[in-house]
Amino acid sequence: MLEISNLRVTHGPIEAVHGIDISVPAGTCVALLGANGAGKTSTLSAITGTAKSTGTIRLEGEDISALPVEARVKRGIALSPEGRRVFYNLSVRENLVMGAAIRKDKAAIAEEVDHWFTRFPILGERRDQPAGTLSGGEQQMLAIARALMSRPRILLLDEPSLGLAPQIVERIFEMIRELRSQGVTILLVEQNATAAIGLSDHVYVLNNGLVSSQGRAADYGNGAELMDQITGVHG
Amino acid sequence: MNPSQRRGLLGSALLSLLVLLIVGAYYLWGETWQARVLYATFVNLLVVIGLQVFTGNANLTNFSHAAFMGIAAYAAAICVTPVAMKAISLPDAPWGLNAFELGPWTSALVALGITGGLGLLTGVFVARLTGVGVTIVSIAILVIVHSIFLHRTDIFKGNQALFGIPKVLDLPQITALVIIAIFAARWFRESRFGLQLRACADDEIGARAMGVNVFRTRLIAWVLGTLFFAVAGIAYAFFLGTISARPFYFNFVFLTVAMLILGGLRSVSGAVFGTLLISIGLETIRWLETGPQIAGLKLPQMLGLSGLMLGVVIVAVMALLPSGLMGNLEIEDLLRRRKRAETPEPR
Repeated sequence: MLEISNLRVTHGPIEAVHGIDISVPAGTCVALLGANGAGKTSTLSAITGTAKSTGTIRLEGEDISALPVEARVKRGIALSPEGRRVFYNLSVRENLVMGAAIRKDKAAIAEEVDHWFTRFPILGERRDQPAGTLSGGEQQMLAIARALMSRPRILLLDEPSLGLAPQIVERIFEMIRELRSQGVTILLVEQNATAAIGLSDHVYVLNNGLVSSQGRAADYGNGAELMDQITGVHG
Repeated sequence: MNPSQRRGLLGSALLSLLVLLIVGAYYLWGETWQARVLYATFVNLLVVIGLQVFTGNANLTNFSHAAFMGIAAYAAAICVTPVAMKAISLPDAPWGLNAFELGPWTSALVALGITGGLGLLTGVFVARLTGVGVTIVSIAILVIVHSIFLHRTDIFKGNQALFGIPKVLDLPQITALVIIAIFAARWFRESRFGLQLRACADDEIGARAMGVNVFRTRLIAWVLGTLFFAVAGIAYAFFLGTISARPFYFNFVFLTVAMLILGGLRSVSGAVFGTLLISIGLETIRWLETGPQIAGLKLPQMLGLSGLMLGVVIVAVMALLPSGLMGNLEIEDLLRRRKRAETPEPR
């Protein structure tokens, strides 16, 4: 589905990612783990086209690395951004409609918005409230649902657990697990290695802008060792 | 039509009803001189609603509206004024500007075309900018246009009045224009483009990552806004009979921006309420300025009070209600809130 080779990402004069290869086969969930500043979000920005990069990014065989952001969204890349960046002043419903900004089939969009309201009744109850008034967990649900509104081929999730209470994190990961079982292809960026390994097929560990290790998720056990590496906390 | 647009129709109808009530009250109880005040208020209303389209939805401050309004007013005035009159008022006009005259509708269309064209031209630059860049460029446009008005005296008469413009519009017609403007602005706010523009205002990178073409969305809003200003300028020239460069400058710019800020720039209802409140307030203050006698008490003359009060209102609103009276709310939200408060939600 997504093939990245020799990707280098720069922010102005600083190179954040120094040439990495990542492969996300269709229907799988791949985790991209690493500490702060390892280059995880930079990698996602390069895939969506919001950061400057060199190297090749192929989506279903097509080289998309020279395409502008809109064209990449149209080809099926959707991002649920870090820090639950929902549109604060737009209502919950409007946020979902924005997720479908590239689509023109209004009737189907309205149907899918209703689908999410039944799926997450809490969002349905608050459909006319500004998204900024939702709790952190609700905003994260909204951000993921919004990303899916573009009917992506691959969903990029940037630290969905960041800053949420453990119970809420469990619900968000439950949601991701469900998406995966429905066949959605996912590239998951996380610091919470234990939780991410639990629902991934393949794992890449980033360290200072390079892939320091990779393998089947099962090979990493419960991720405790990895968690030590990433966070420096020995449990 | 999506649910927001359906609600938008209801909101626009309610705002129109408010406008009609005010006009009705004038016809029932008003005095003749108040027609002029009401007409001026409605011209301001057209401008502030136009400001809401770009500034309100995109959250980018525009100060150039008075320039576009002036361009339309001059264009319409030069087209519509009879040749015999232009021989006196514009004797030195170049390019045969004083040798033709057009009907009022054609003149209005020419003025709309010229203003819209200039809107498109400037929009190509403005729509690429963000934040304070937009504000600076808009001020530059205002200053450039104003100095052309002042110094091309052969066409614009500078500080002198360009007179002899036939009176084409009156209160009923501008009321109709205001109502159309309310529906149009609200329709735009709830449309696909309006929504994308408001999303960019919250998070531009986020909106781009969803595939929004920020440039195109901003350009559409900018040009649409200039058309509102054009209609206001034409309505201004077609009622007053004389125009000069002075009203299309900073004083007017700040007055209308204050109206938008007071009401709340994110909603069309805010634009309408802000304009009506400040207009009523200013009229009251102007009356107080002259030193009237209230209940046997003779008040002193206080010239300049209106300018002072305008400043106080802006400072107070910014301090106490940073997003204006209405914030994100439209008029129909107020009604729904009340309804919800009466019937407690089932748990």
